[in-house]
Amino acid sequence: MKTMNKKQFILSVIILAVCTAVPLIFDPETSYVVYFLFMAFIYVTLAQAWNIVAGYTGQVTLGLHAFFGLGAYVIAIGWSRELIGYLDPLGMFAAGCAAAILAILVGIPLLSKLKGDYFALGTLGLGEILRLVTIQGGAFTAGPTGILLPSSSFNTLTPHYFIALFLALLALGVTYYMTKSNIGLALVAVRDDETAAAASGINILKFKVLAFAVAAFLAGLCGALQAYYIFHVEPQGFYSLNWTLYPVLMCVLGGAGTLSGPVIGALFLTVVFEIAKYALPEIHPIFSGLLIIFSIMFLPKGLIGLKPGRMFQRTKRIS
Amino acid sequence: MPIDILLQLLINGILFGAMYGIAAIGLSLIFGTMRIVFIAQGTMIILAAYGSFWLFKLWGMDPYVSIFFVVPASLIVGIGFYQALFRKVAKAGQFPTLLIAFGLMALLENLMFVVFTGNSRALQTSYSTYALTLLGMKISFVRLMVFVMAILGATGVTLFLKKTLLGKAVRAASENLEYAMLVGITPHQVNTVTFALGMGLAGLAGVATATTYAFDPFSGFVFGLKAMIALALGGMGNVAGALLGGILLGVVESYSAFFLSGGWADVISYAVFLLVLMFKPEGLFSRDTSAKL
Repeated sequence: MKTMNKKQFILSVIILAVCTAVPLIFDPETSYVVYFLFMAFIYVTLAQAWNIVAGYTGQVTLGLHAFFGLGAYVIAIGWSRELIGYLDPLGMFAAGCAAAILAILVGIPLLSKLKGDYFALGTLGLGEILRLVTIQGGAFTAGPTGILLPSSSFNTLTPHYFIALFLALLALGVTYYMTKSNIGLALVAVRDDETAAAASGINILKFKVLAFAVAAFLAGLCGALQAYYIFHVEPQGFYSLNWTLYPVLMCVLGGAGTLSGPVIGALFLTVVFEIAKYALPEIHPIFSGLLIIFSIMFLPKGLIGLKPGRMFQRTKRIS
Repeated sequence: MPIDILLQLLINGILFGAMYGIAAIGLSLIFGTMRIVFIAQGTMIILAAYGSFWLFKLWGMDPYVSIFFVVPASLIVGIGFYQALFRKVAKAGQFPTLLIAFGLMALLENLMFVVFTGNSRALQTSYSTYALTLLGMKISFVRLMVFVMAILGATGVTLFLKKTLLGKAVRAASENLEYAMLVGITPHQVNTVTFALGMGLAGLAGVATATTYAFDPFSGFVFGLKAMIALALGGMGNVAGALLGGILLGVVESYSAFFLSGGWADVISYAVFLLVLMFKPEGLFSRDTSAKL
């Protein structure tokens, strides 16, 4: 198990490291490749974030978009009041922390009482609440029209590209660290048998909340970066359910509960989506739904298939 | 604050909430046997609403007559869904079933968007705006009909569960699947029945939606969330509780929409949802707290 993880980790790092050369070869101002990889890295990070909570810890969250949107709004509100600057690392860190704090605040009561789809529904509700509160937020959040940021600061995609690459590597590193350390063992133990895990002295709640907060932190960072790229932060786009739907799909298709599954899934699906956007612009979202259904039914272990992604073997019930 | 306004808001809320109740009963049944919350329920409701809308638009069929076409069609769709999508993964636990439902929701929403366009639709009949006056209260006829449909639907399901052999099998399976299997109940059969019933109720809720609301392909998600809130309020696996939960949600929304604004009403219902999930996940109306959770 450990050597396999190591192999997957090294492989994933190599794939991503090759990507650092891309802006040297392709011109980031005109090349589609750079934009494409930028999006792919964001999806890798989000898929990996979901993987930490759902794949390793077994808690299905459908609320990534809540943290993504929150991260974006921290940047938008902070920047428009000149508290933080353009591509400000501290600002992005603050965005991630805001998301993580929210995850802890919501996670403790939700995770201590709820399992399975109750938790999924609770997090789904969280995204809706944040979206609606933002719409009602008046001058502070600029309501449904959203906040327009000074887009004149943008001149090249290169920094965004490297930050996204860094985030993807960070997500991978965090996941790798978690699987290697005792934390990972505890998380998998919680996923596989909660009662047994508790009996062996694992503080279940602590580890569940930890995984949830780490995922929220990563999603918040992604939202922050996307805000620096789009320059118009509005509730419909940033609290869109797609920011949960696509990463879930990528993680499941690639192989949930594995290190490189989300990376493979995210890269593969970003390609599929981009092609679909060109070839079938109208009906491309239909495919995302179909793909989720088919990958669960016929590829329950994901593209990474042959490796053990054991999450689907256990029947979990609300006890 | 004059008392008759408060009373009027209460009546509106009850009539409104009955619709959430119908949808919540369907969710509750599916949860009872399969232990999954069927996220795509709201989207199915909207699909049924489109069915009712087009029957009216194309053939001038009265929406209350269309019940006799939409509901049986929904029952069949329910059987189809179970056999095609869930049968294979039913044993694999909550995780895959939840995600399949999630995928189905995305699929149906976008399919409807392509086929029916994103335009908002509303079914306008000659009696859509008709209101009865009862003891000084104005009661919208279509809303009253929704309430009647909810009561009839709930009664029908309760009778089915209590009086028929198949219904008893469903109840047995949701109480304890292992024991039910020992006495010869096949899970697939029971699951098929509950799925069909759940979708049938979604069909009924769809007709109710079509007569009272404007809807578009994506309004199902919010509607489904409301049904889940109703279910969380009422307690899982309990027909009367689900209906009461829906009515309570309707009343909460009605009052908060009046005293705050329409936008805040939704925030409050989600907040109530989160609070109930956090502090009383077994639901407000569940008599038996140990059995279901």
